[in-house]
Order: sequence, then C-alpha cells, then structure tokens
Amino acid sequence: MSFWGLIRENGIYLTVAMGKTLELTFLSLVFAAVIGLFFGLLNVSRYKAFNIIANVYIDCIRGVPLIVLAFFVYFGVPMATGVRLNALVAGIISLSMNAGAYMAEIVRAGIQSIDKGQMEAARSLGLSYGTSMRKVVLPQAIRVMIPSIINQFIITLKDTSILSVIGFPELVKAGQIVIARNFETFKMWAIIAVMYLIVITTLSKIARALERKISYGK
Amino acid sequence: MENKNVKISVKELRKSFGHLEVLKGMNVEVCEGEVVCLIGPSGSGKSTFLRCLNALEKITAGSVIVDGYDLTDKKNHNINKVRENIGMVFQHFNLFANLNVIQNIMLAPVELKKMTKQEAHTRGMELLEMVGLSEKAEVYPSKLSGGQKQRVAIARALAMNPDIMLFDEPTSALDPEMVGEVLEVMQNLAKNGMTMVVVTHEMGFAREVASRVIFMDEGIIVEEGTPQEVLQNPKQPRTIDFLNKVL
Repeated sequence: MSFWGLIRENGIYLTVAMGKTLELTFLSLVFAAVIGLFFGLLNVSRYKAFNIIANVYIDCIRGVPLIVLAFFVYFGVPMATGVRLNALVAGIISLSMNAGAYMAEIVRAGIQSIDKGQMEAARSLGLSYGTSMRKVVLPQAIRVMIPSIINQFIITLKDTSILSVIGFPELVKAGQIVIARNFETFKMWAIIAVMYLIVITTLSKIARALERKISYGK
Repeated sequence: MENKNVKISVKELRKSFGHLEVLKGMNVEVCEGEVVCLIGPSGSGKSTFLRCLNALEKITAGSVIVDGYDLTDKKNHNINKVRENIGMVFQHFNLFANLNVIQNIMLAPVELKKMTKQEAHTRGMELLEMVGLSEKAEVYPSKLSGGQKQRVAIARALAMNPDIMLFDEPTSALDPEMVGEVLEVMQNLAKNGMTMVVVTHEMGFAREVASRVIFMDEGIIVEEGTPQEVLQNPKQPRTIDFLNKVL
C-alpha cells in the first residue's frame, strides 16, 4: 500500500494516539513543574537538610532508567500494595517523577543565575524570603529557565514512547498495533517519525515565540 | 548626644567569614537625625558593618540594637518588621529587573500592606518627583543610566517611610558625571532630618553633610569625630596616611 493509502486508512487512529501522547506529556509536565519547583526550592534553601532531601530525590530518579521506573510503578507497586493503577495514571506518575528531577535542576540553576543583590534588596525592604522569591527572583529565573523547559518538554514528549511497554495507547503503541495488522513496517515507522517531528517542531516554535514575548524591556 | 534619641547602638560587634575576622569589636552609636559617614580603605569592613545593621550579614558576636530591637536576639523581634524601618541603598542599585520603576517602588508597601495600590502609586510618584524622575515611572531599570537607577533605588527605599537609611557606597559604581545627582538627593534627605549611615569614598560629601565621620581600618574604628576633626585635623597616622592617598 502507498504512503497516502496508509495515512488515509490509519490517520484518525494515529492522530488519536498522538492526542493521547500529548495529553500524557502535558499532564506529566504540569506535575513535573510542581515537583521541580518544590525540590528546586529545597535545593537553594539555606537549610542543609532541605538540600540533602532534594539531592537524594534528584540522584535516585536520575540514577534509574525511565523504563524501570515505569515497570516499578505499573507492575511492582500494585503487587506490593494491591492497588491497581491504570496505564495513564502509572504513566503520568513515572514521567512526572522523572521529568520532575530534571526540572528541579533547571529551577535550581535558574534561581542561582539571578544576582544575589535582587534577593538582598527585596529582603532589605522587609519582604519575607518567600515573597522575595515569588515576586522578584522567580519571575526573573523563569525567563532564564524557558529554553531549558522547552528542551525538557521535548524530551518528555519523546519519553512517552517508552510507556508503550506498559500498554499505554500512545503513538508508538498504536503504531505497533497497526503494523501487527498490515506488516508495513518501513512506511509506518516513517509516518510515525514524521508525526513526532511535526508536533515537536511546531511546539518548540510556539514556545520560542512565547519566550520572546515575555522578555521585559530588554 | 545624651538627650537625643539613640536609633542604632552597636556594642563589641564582631563578624567573621570562616576564619577571617572582618569586624573586630565595633562600638558605634547613631542618634536620630545624625548623618554618619564611614570611610576607610577597601577591605576595612565598612560594607560588612553596614550590612550587619539590618542583619543582611549574620552577626558573629556582640550586639546591634536598632530601634530598640536587639538583632542578635532572634526571639524578641521579627527581622522583617525591623527592616521595614531601615532603608538600604546598594552600590549596584539592585533594582528589580522584572518590574518597572513605579512597580519597583510600590512592591514593598503594597506587599506588606502598608498602603493600598492607589496610595503606593501616589506616594511613588511623589518620590519620583523628589528624585527628578517622574517621567521614568513606566520604564524598566535596564533602560536607565546608573545615576537614574540609584535615584530610583533611593525612592524605593523611601517608599516604606523608614526612620533610618543605610547607603553602601551609593556612588562607587557610577560614572563621574552622575555622582552629583545622587549626592544631591542624599543631601536633601539629610537636610530633612533623616538618620543616615553612609559608606562612602566621597570626601566632599562627608565634609559637607556628615555630622560625624568614622575612619575604619582592618575591622576597627581608628578615629571618629566631626568632619573637621577627622578630615581636616586627623590625629592617627593611619587616618593621615589614608587621607593623603585619597585627597
């Protein structure tokens, strides 16, 4: 069958799967951002204990492959606790824990790139550490962090494909199902690759436009 | 000094960074309305001393009492409350880069619920008028010259209506032609009775505006007195030596 024929036949099915992929990516990144902000802030805290907690989390997650984490969450945890997770929930948990560790490093680096004088000036006015962070340091740090966040977004989008191993119906899993039926291995993987390519390129273009827009008075 | 209201009282203040002792027992009293200028060579501990006055530096030993609050006794005060009453101006301005001029000024009064947005805006515009920058209200700090930044920084500190103002080498990072505009603002503040502690290399300013000059070297006070005493007729050889170099 021609490329065109394959696209016509499987287009809707693959588009839905791409939708699932994006859903998984967005949800995971939202949670990853929360996790990353939390551990990133612990990491820049004055208190040694907080730094240690953040570093333990980051090291543990970075030291374990995503596929192992996904197996652990999807197969391991239910075995030990009796609580069965569906593939979407297990996928979101593993991806956001994974991306959260990298986000924590992005947040730490972003905050540390802001001149100490900004925090000192805010504190000297009587603002608390938290308010100074929220109103002065973080808004500037986020701007610095945007390119790295875009990068993490793309990595996470690609990492969703690993979750095909727990049967989540994202794009790679959908591709495998189609190929099992029609044996068009070469053409199907080419189509899937192009689908990823289009989505990722579009998203990174949008993100870059956004990055330019929020640069203040510079 | 006896019948005046003491605003800052520093006793046997010591400050170390690791093994390096930067302040080796400082005793200073500043009364209401006084302008105290700290002079001395780089590395003498002037800036560190100033930063101890609002606890930006942790105090190693001794006591610093500001407005009746002992900064070394964490239990009897909230440091943020004490700082509301002490304005600080930095060498490198430290204007908030994510906020425009008027937002820089309004942030603290509004966040700390000292004023409504409306009041803070009105007060901010008054202060900008005072430092001659009303037309720059909506401009971001990156578009300002050094002198303009420093005047905004002064306005920002004043927005909290502090009783005390600390200046950490406010003109050292400025191009020479911009020093005057900043000193003028400070001079007006002093005239209006603000209690000020100023770390400076501007001997002219010290001579004209200071009620007292303190010469520091290697973490101790070498000599202190009126500008005439310290700058015109210094007694200590180290003071004489330093003044010969800078004048």
